[in-house]
Amino acid sequence: MTPVFGEFLGPAGRHITAAASFRDELPDAAKYGAIRQLERLATTLARYVGDLDLPDEFDPGSDLGLDFDVRPALDARTALRRAASSLRRTATTVCDTAADDEHPSVMHLRAAADYLAAGRDLLRTHFAAPPGGEMARNSFWAPLLTSGQLTAALLTELAALARQLAPWAAQLSVTGPMSSGDSIALHVASRWMWIAGASIESAQRQQPPPASARQLLISVPANVPPARRPPDGPEPVAGLSEGITITSERLRHAAAAFASQARWSPAANSVSWRRDALASAITGHCSEFILRALAQRAAELCIDPAIPARLAAAADVMATVWPAWRSVAHHWDIVSTGTSTGAGISPVAAESGDLALRLGRLAYRNPQWTPACSETSLVRIPEDLAATPEDISRVLSAVHQATDATTRIATEDREAVRAAAFDNRLYVPTRMMPDGWDMPYRYSPAPASFVDDLLITYDTAIMANKHAVAVLDDLAAAIGTPSHLLGMARTISASQQAQLKHLSDAPAEPQQPDMLPQPGPLGRILRDLQISEPRALLRAAAIDKAAHDLTAQAKAQSQRRGRSQRHPNPLRTSLRSRSRVLPQPGNAYTKSVKREVITAATTRFAPVMSSVARRSGSLKHRRGTDVVIRLAWLAVVRSVLASFET
Amino acid sequence: MVMHESSGAGPSLRQAATLPDVLAASFDAFEVIRLLARASEDQVPALLAAFMTAADAAVDGREAVTAAPSLPSGGEGAGAPAAAADTDAWVIADGMAALAVLLGERLRHAAALSLTAGDRGACEAAAEAAGRICQLMARGHDDASLR
Repeated sequence: MTPVFGEFLGPAGRHITAAASFRDELPDAAKYGAIRQLERLATTLARYVGDLDLPDEFDPGSDLGLDFDVRPALDARTALRRAASSLRRTATTVCDTAADDEHPSVMHLRAAADYLAAGRDLLRTHFAAPPGGEMARNSFWAPLLTSGQLTAALLTELAALARQLAPWAAQLSVTGPMSSGDSIALHVASRWMWIAGASIESAQRQQPPPASARQLLISVPANVPPARRPPDGPEPVAGLSEGITITSERLRHAAAAFASQARWSPAANSVSWRRDALASAITGHCSEFILRALAQRAAELCIDPAIPARLAAAADVMATVWPAWRSVAHHWDIVSTGTSTGAGISPVAAESGDLALRLGRLAYRNPQWTPACSETSLVRIPEDLAATPEDISRVLSAVHQATDATTRIATEDREAVRAAAFDNRLYVPTRMMPDGWDMPYRYSPAPASFVDDLLITYDTAIMANKHAVAVLDDLAAAIGTPSHLLGMARTISASQQAQLKHLSDAPAEPQQPDMLPQPGPLGRILRDLQISEPRALLRAAAIDKAAHDLTAQAKAQSQRRGRSQRHPNPLRTSLRSRSRVLPQPGNAYTKSVKREVITAATTRFAPVMSSVARRSGSLKHRRGTDVVIRLAWLAVVRSVLASFET
Repeated sequence: MVMHESSGAGPSLRQAATLPDVLAASFDAFEVIRLLARASEDQVPALLAAFMTAADAAVDGREAVTAAPSLPSGGEGAGAPAAAADTDAWVIADGMAALAVLLGERLRHAAALSLTAGDRGACEAAAEAAGRICQLMARGHDDASLR
């Protein structure tokens, strides 16, 4: 299974406790080793706090909308940075001294530093740092990790560690064999660690983070999808439940990862969305059977009398989910993104069938159930599905996971479909249009009413799914299923959104019609010229995406250059003073950078442009497209340069 | 078995002599299968997944045929299937399976005769979709308790 943060934080704390339990004076060689490990620990703690989404100390106007007092966190950040700085100086002076790294206390400290560093790496997997760019949220957990409640929970944990280390470092400073300067630096570091711990603890004594936030923090998984487990043979109920959990996790990852490509990827097509809708309908249908069987079994096992009724209510809600998805699938019977030969389907669509298959095998008696008529069977008897109350919890958890995953997929799909509609990439087969439909092509642009109906059915299905998820969240919390964390995360996320909404007074849902994703410069040109050929539009979106990436990269480079000029690095300054080979800002420099950008843009876009031109229809049309592409190319390069200059 | 005969899809497929005729008849046959599957989804809960997946495969087949360069541009459109609302779901499934078998045969034959890669690829993809429908609708064991 995927490692979680608690698997690193817990052992780190235990190792620090074990190291701090050594009250006897350490041998001198062990003291040197301990100082080095303390430096690693303080640096790692400082980096943890440095990663937090906190405002700048010197910018009182910046307000990130965090629902906790940021001042102690800022104090702790400053204190830990100073502690790390002091310890670094001491560690540097003793680095050539022979140290005993095998002493138990040193080994404990080293292990704690390793665990903490690994835990930080795990948390950072939820954020992407493109070359030259700023950290971007990379998973569904990322908004939670930057929420006030989880930030406060993490600070509490770090403060506890700093408070444990501080007295031990102070003791080392008075008994150590170092010079007086190093001893003072070590003592100063211990004071800063104590201040870091105390500032957080005193603030959180008044407003402690909820216990659920800590539970959620230690459950944060690495942002790495678990390995795929295809449903090849018959599996017992426990295996099916585990498989559903794994597939749901993989689908959540895939949905989040594919969302950024949905605007331009050829795999973002109607076949993928149709498959997702089909899988969601089958998943919901099977989930209804499973929940009804669980309700019956819970009554038979005489567990809390409220539970069977709530399970039955959840089944009733699920009975509204799958018809909504079936309606979405019906709409995709007609609407299409056109011929997509060789484009393949999205990673989500490729695996959503696994989820439907396993839910089917959980719902029906046939262990090799498939949608085929030859494999139909009766639904499982409740006792077979869940022999004990623990089995009810396990199976409910699987249904909860699956419903959560389909809800997230649905939300991403709706946005992708909305973008496709806005880019005029939705069509209907002309042969299926009524007589007199004047269109010389195989596909006609989908009438607005078709597109509106499709988007409305998506909205209905998502609302039904969200309702089912909310009911299952409550049920999971009441029964204590392993999936109850999903509901907990949703609650914290909702409170964070409410806080932000309150602060910014902005609409919570960014899916208002006036906030539709806008096509890029090339997309707009093609749209203005009423070019609706799917491949050309898709390529335009791809080129716009590439232009956007290039612009972001150029901006980041420009900002880095600006920063380095404002805060000159001593090493760089000395190099510059020695040799004046680096170009200076000015006309010549700007021109050279412009040339660089034009060369990069030409190299990057030229093959795509010529490919678009090659593939577009007749010679006449191709010539027309050539002109359009050339104009568009110029527009893209101009936009890159304009953004670079700004 | 009577369904696809009465809808006209089966005879059209058999009578189609040229590639454009086969493609046009296949387009209509896939539409008949889709409409039949959609109309039958609610009849037996245990067959919902089968009929929904078959309809999805029929759309795949129809889209594949649409990509064929030799598909004639006009069209009469698929005749509405003549399955009565009270027709047994298993009978409908049998009819769909039989039509899918015929579709697969005709499309494979058309693929072999196609002169262009576009037509051949389209026919092969559509034949594959017909094969999936056949697999989904073929009856294995006849469990009377499911009816």
